[in-house]
Amino acid sequence: MLNLLKMDAYRFIRNKTMYMLLLLFCAFQIFGIFMMGQYSQEMEAGGGVAVGSLDASEFIQYTLSQPPSWMLLYITVFVVYFYMSEYQSGFGKNYMSMRRARIYTILAKIWISALFVGLLFLTMLVSDWIGRGLFFDNTTWGDAGYFVKLLIGQFLLHWAFAILMLCITVLCKNLLAGVIIGFVLALNIPGMLLGALESLMNGVNISQYWLVNTLVAVKDFNDAGEFAQTLLVAFVFIVLFAAIAVRHKIREDLN
Amino acid sequence: MPDTIIEMKNLTKAYGSKTVVKSIDLSVYRGEIVGLIGKNGAGKSTLLKMVAGLVHPTSGELHFFNRASADGQSFFERMGVLIEQAGLYPHYSAFENLKLLAIAYGLPNANAQIDRLLKTVGLENSGSAKVKSFSLGMKQRLGIAAALLGSPDVLLLDEPVNGLDPQGIVEIRALIRELNKDGLTILISSHILEELSKIATKYAIIHQGEMVEVISADDLLHKCEERIELRLEAIEAAIPVLERELKITDYKVSDNNTVYVYEEGAQIRQISKTLIEHGIEIDSIHKHQQSLEQYFLARTEQAGERHA
Ligand SMILES: Nc1ncnc2c1ncn2[C@@H]1O[C@H](COP(=O)(O)OP(=O)(O)OP(=O)(O)O)[C@@H](O)[C@H]1O
Ligand SMILES: [Mg+2]
Repeated sequence: MLNLLKMDAYRFIRNKTMYMLLLLFCAFQIFGIFMMGQYSQEMEAGGGVAVGSLDASEFIQYTLSQPPSWMLLYITVFVVYFYMSEYQSGFGKNYMSMRRARIYTILAKIWISALFVGLLFLTMLVSDWIGRGLFFDNTTWGDAGYFVKLLIGQFLLHWAFAILMLCITVLCKNLLAGVIIGFVLALNIPGMLLGALESLMNGVNISQYWLVNTLVAVKDFNDAGEFAQTLLVAFVFIVLFAAIAVRHKIREDLN
Repeated sequence: MPDTIIEMKNLTKAYGSKTVVKSIDLSVYRGEIVGLIGKNGAGKSTLLKMVAGLVHPTSGELHFFNRASADGQSFFERMGVLIEQAGLYPHYSAFENLKLLAIAYGLPNANAQIDRLLKTVGLENSGSAKVKSFSLGMKQRLGIAAALLGSPDVLLLDEPVNGLDPQGIVEIRALIRELNKDGLTILISSHILEELSKIATKYAIIHQGEMVEVISADDLLHKCEERIELRLEAIEAAIPVLERELKITDYKVSDNNTVYVYEEGAQIRQISKTLIEHGIEIDSIHKHQQSLEQYFLARTEQAGERHA
């Protein structure tokens, strides 16, 4: 597996699209903070959140809870592109006769997407820091323990989303379809539908376990129960969709 | 007993209700060059894809080194594959494509080997040009280089000279022969029998998904050689006459009443005259010669009628 991971890593670091996505994200994130700065007075007057006075953790939670989830869109584009560029070129045909290559190629992509999500978070932290410093004159981090728990929880949720997208792409084998499904998920349309459905049936409440709902919910990560639920949702999605993707890849005919 | 390297048993592939490869049995021995011949849509690529582990057989078995492949998936590690279009990244150069594959194989210090391979296939001057700017022939050459990377034991080539210029075809043929001399086993497909006639050691003719015939290169040449076909009832009486009176040693009894005479310089008039002098009646006698292509067409048409 290490060899296929190395191969994908070689491809990853030479991937211009990846750097472009990160740069774009950085630019939009800072621009978004600039816009918040412009309207922060009105928002506060209207009983909204005082974004300027939030610490880093609160700020992240606040931006993640505002739809659409931009990071999910970047993850979608990256994952679909990274998988499909190999699939469409047929490059995999060269090495698929190797033992367990089908399993390892998916696992390699899972690790690479973790790397991308990590870089995305790093970009977010840097651009938040720059943006908040420039427009709010506020670079407070807040409680370090809470901050770390938030990052771990949200990283795992985003990584789980990347794996969900990978699985969808492996199944549908289509760039456009993959991106469209990813956007629908990022806008959390399934989450809203699920919520609407639940309101019709009294007593049922599973929508809180839906990945994107967990991701956008503002939570208290210091609460052991909420933190555990976050980890559990991420873990279930990671394992479930990684398994489906691998299973499908093993059975697939490569024409 | 020759050393079997690949064994196909009842290998079958169906797409939906359409069976495109039907119960194929074929053994490939170490050091052979097996030519897989069939028309467009015969199932050559599909068969090779199954051997390469790209496509899962619907039923049947596939053995490598006499070892059954686990749950339908091949795990023959040292296999170089070029099936249909070469699988290459269009936005990478020839070198980078091979470099990626070398990493996947875990080849240490692959750069020298990559340079050597690019030279072998005549792409040493492609430099940093991206594969998307390559011509069809150049892509095909790079595909062959990719298949050769890591010095495989078995090579699967699906119409490898497709898109090559005449000089390229000659070069690749020479390369295939040379690799085979170094012990490489090769399974190569084509829809033209003639194209493989100079390299293959064994032919497998496939038609509408079925294996019509497996024949060694020697036997095939023999069949297509110029010969006199002699039909008569009293074969036992005729043989001694042929041998003693006419001094014919190169002949073959094809069936109960047919003899093929390959002897150089044998004359129809001489043979019929001598036989009649000995009181042996001849049903028919004629000269027969067939090109490889005619032979192939005859085989596939026959099969076509049978299965129509
Ligand atoms: N993925 C697929 N789905 C459905 N049918 C397929 C698929 N791949 C191949 N076929 C069918 O299987 C048959 C054999 O195809 P195959 O590509 O193996 O032929 P071939 O002998 O390689 O032909 P050619 O000389 O044109 O390359 C064809 O009729 C084709 O339509
Ligand atoms: Mg073909």
